[in-house]
Amino acid sequence: MLNRNPRTLGAVAASIAIALLAGCGGGGQPQTNADGTPLKVYRHSMDGAPVNLDPVQSAVVYSNFVVLNAYDTLYSYKYLARPYELKPNLAKGMPEVSEDGLTYTIHLKEGSGFIDDPAFPDGKGREVVAQDFVYSIKRHFDPKNRSQGAWLWQGRIVGLDQWKDDGADYSQDVEGLKALDDHSIQIKLVKPYPQLTYTLAMGFSGIVAQEAVEKYGRELSIHPVGSGPYKVERFSTAKAVLVPNPNFRQEPVDLAAEGFDPAVHGDYGLDAIDGKAPPFVDRLEIDFITETASRWASFTSDKEVQFTSVPVEQIDSVLGSKQPVTVSDAWAKRYHWKSGVEAGFIYTYFNMDKPYFGYNDDPAIEAKNKALRCAMRDAFSWAERNERFYSGIGTVFPGIIAPVVPEFDPSLSEASVTQHMEKAKQQLRDAGWTPETLPELTYGYSSAVFYRQVFEQFRGFMNQLGFPLAKIQGRTFATFGDFNKAIKTSQLDIGGLGWGLDYPDAENTLQLFYGPNRTPGSNNPNYANPEFDALFEQASTMQPGPERTELYRKMNEMVIDDCVAITGMSRNKVYLWHKNVVGVPDREILGGFWLKYVDVKTGGSEE
Amino acid sequence: MTTTTAETAPAPRKQGESLWSKAARKLLRDRWGMTSLVIVLVYLGIALGVWAGLWGQDWNTLTPTINAEASAEHWFGTNRNGQDIFERSIFSTKTAFEIGLVVAVLSTVLGAIMGAISGFFAGRWPDEIILWLKGVLDSIPFYLFVAAVAFALQGYAFSMHVAMVATFWTTTARLVRAEVIRLKGFEFVEAAHALGVPEWQIISRHIIPNTTHILLVQATITFVSAIKSEVILSFLGLGVKNGVSWGLMISESTNEVTTGFFNNFLAASVFLFVLVMAFNMFSDALQDAFDPKKT
Repeated sequence: MLNRNPRTLGAVAASIAIALLAGCGGGGQPQTNADGTPLKVYRHSMDGAPVNLDPVQSAVVYSNFVVLNAYDTLYSYKYLARPYELKPNLAKGMPEVSEDGLTYTIHLKEGSGFIDDPAFPDGKGREVVAQDFVYSIKRHFDPKNRSQGAWLWQGRIVGLDQWKDDGADYSQDVEGLKALDDHSIQIKLVKPYPQLTYTLAMGFSGIVAQEAVEKYGRELSIHPVGSGPYKVERFSTAKAVLVPNPNFRQEPVDLAAEGFDPAVHGDYGLDAIDGKAPPFVDRLEIDFITETASRWASFTSDKEVQFTSVPVEQIDSVLGSKQPVTVSDAWAKRYHWKSGVEAGFIYTYFNMDKPYFGYNDDPAIEAKNKALRCAMRDAFSWAERNERFYSGIGTVFPGIIAPVVPEFDPSLSEASVTQHMEKAKQQLRDAGWTPETLPELTYGYSSAVFYRQVFEQFRGFMNQLGFPLAKIQGRTFATFGDFNKAIKTSQLDIGGLGWGLDYPDAENTLQLFYGPNRTPGSNNPNYANPEFDALFEQASTMQPGPERTELYRKMNEMVIDDCVAITGMSRNKVYLWHKNVVGVPDREILGGFWLKYVDVKTGGSEE
Repeated sequence: MTTTTAETAPAPRKQGESLWSKAARKLLRDRWGMTSLVIVLVYLGIALGVWAGLWGQDWNTLTPTINAEASAEHWFGTNRNGQDIFERSIFSTKTAFEIGLVVAVLSTVLGAIMGAISGFFAGRWPDEIILWLKGVLDSIPFYLFVAAVAFALQGYAFSMHVAMVATFWTTTARLVRAEVIRLKGFEFVEAAHALGVPEWQIISRHIIPNTTHILLVQATITFVSAIKSEVILSFLGLGVKNGVSWGLMISESTNEVTTGFFNNFLAASVFLFVLVMAFNMFSDALQDAFDPKKT
């Protein structure tokens, strides 16, 4: 029987309140180290959450942020050098490449260990060896894993595709992927692949231990067992908590070698970490907060997350000037800040698979469709998109070679990214389109206020062009995953997308329009231009240089001329972080590497 | 002898006065009820005007202004896309009535049929099945269920309507069932049985028409619930797909209010509040008018 004594009820209520308050106070995490020194905690924030931390699934920036800190990669990017520069990570040096560019030999550093985990004998993490790398790459070609990164090495490494076709038996060797000894790897390529080293810095090439895969199976997606600087202590789609991996190799930071420039980085207190071995914080927390208002409130409370990107709504109040981008004195006094053009771009694709809109067996209809797509592109205003949704600080450029890569052509005509409404209407009339004959098109987007408003703007432009409102239908998807699935199954006619570069080479964006990569591959528009494909294949084996750049630019112009997409713009992002944080945040080119070097000043007040 | 108070005793009905004419008389005397009816009719007029293309047609038109304050040109200002917030509020009235009417009519019809069958066959297997179904649907938290159905059917223009009808009919059915159980003991039903009238005809011709007053009141309540649910679902991204609604406007405002721009939020909230309030008051007045215990 329930005891209704008021004192008992009061005691119960008080206990619940205490329990709840304790819950609010950091989830029971200790606030000091064993020796009594204050715990150094860095709380990062991101605008989305990963759902899978297995390297074979680390296709999005949110996954990479955790994966690249939990798993080791052979190569990494220099912390501060820009443009981005590769450096050896677990590898002893840059690869030894044969003269024909087909054989890569890589030597590993000794003494780097996996985290302590029950997957290993006695729970003690063992040393990372060359066989682990071979096993990790093979996993991408094991159909059971449904890898999202296999495309990086598909048709590139001798015998690897055959190994897959033969049943993916891990006991069988692959001719082009060998461990010569415990600390040497040999990769033999089918044809030269200049971007290979870049792929060995990606989360996809994170090194896993076979013991962990066998013990955890699919649970590896939420229980990473790696040899990176951190060990994932806790993970959910709301938060990841990482602690230092005590078995991580001791490598003091050489700031000069990392690209330190006093004029650019001098105010961030980085000299405090020079010569010391990372990681420096006792706990790294990454809060995944999708709502910008919540993230902003958490950051500006000065008690929760210590990093945020500035939401578009707050840009006007935070910035002192837009050209160049500077933060106002009040905000600069309160927080560290940084801005920069993203390594990637946003674009709106047209699905060329649709016969009423893209390719058609009848050349006359196909020409009419092209006129329609070009008219839609010319009716679109990038200036308006930039102003209303990206605070007017984005960089609009023609085509698909983004300003951040060396192959970018600043002299290219901007006609394709400038609104010409009258010209667009004339194109429609000339091609015989009328409001009645225009096709009904479906525009897909993730269900969020921002994307809905972006869609409404797009529909507004098309309405001005002559499309009745009912002929531009929006189709929402609860998650980006659902939206992506609809794209990959060619369900949509139009969609707004973004692409973050995996490596600083225009090949990474040009492959988005390479015929064989059609959906479910990365060629979302299902663009199929034999001339483009031939140039792409020709360039794919070429080393960087003027000749390859020339081919890249030709391909870029083909995409523009064929009106396959409305493209593009690189967003300019503004980041703020607390003054007690020692670090230079970055989320471009995979992102996440810099968290290895982050430090937090303890004691005293913030500057 | 039984004594009754003025409050509980049935009001005297004028000789020859039907339930409907008495209800109309009582309703006309109810000042708040009539005021709320006028407000509802004004909203209906706005919605019909949008339907007829008389106003609210520029809700999607882009203008050069961004988050403009109220002016002679834009009465409630503009949003991030430069779209006129007043036009969007007006157009949303049509959206609200469209959803309210469709859901109210369909769930009332479904509730009436299911309730009548359940009540007429009370204690028998059709009743058991319907009660079980209602029990199952009622045991699921309302918004969770509506969101689940809307999510499962997303991509379909009427997914939200289906979700609401699937849940709203149960309340109507429960009320109708109770009324039918009461009615089926009346002499006119027994007479129909005695004359050999088929059961489905007794239900459709003799019983359901006698529950109309319940259906009318319930329909108004459902109408309001549908509008409120649409706002919540649209706010959550599960509602209106291709138009605009007050829910979407409030959803849009979530990021704007942190920068001190309240126009979207206020416009949608005020439009919604006044309509819901008026409809609730009208619904109460209607309930009082049909209540024989009230004068």
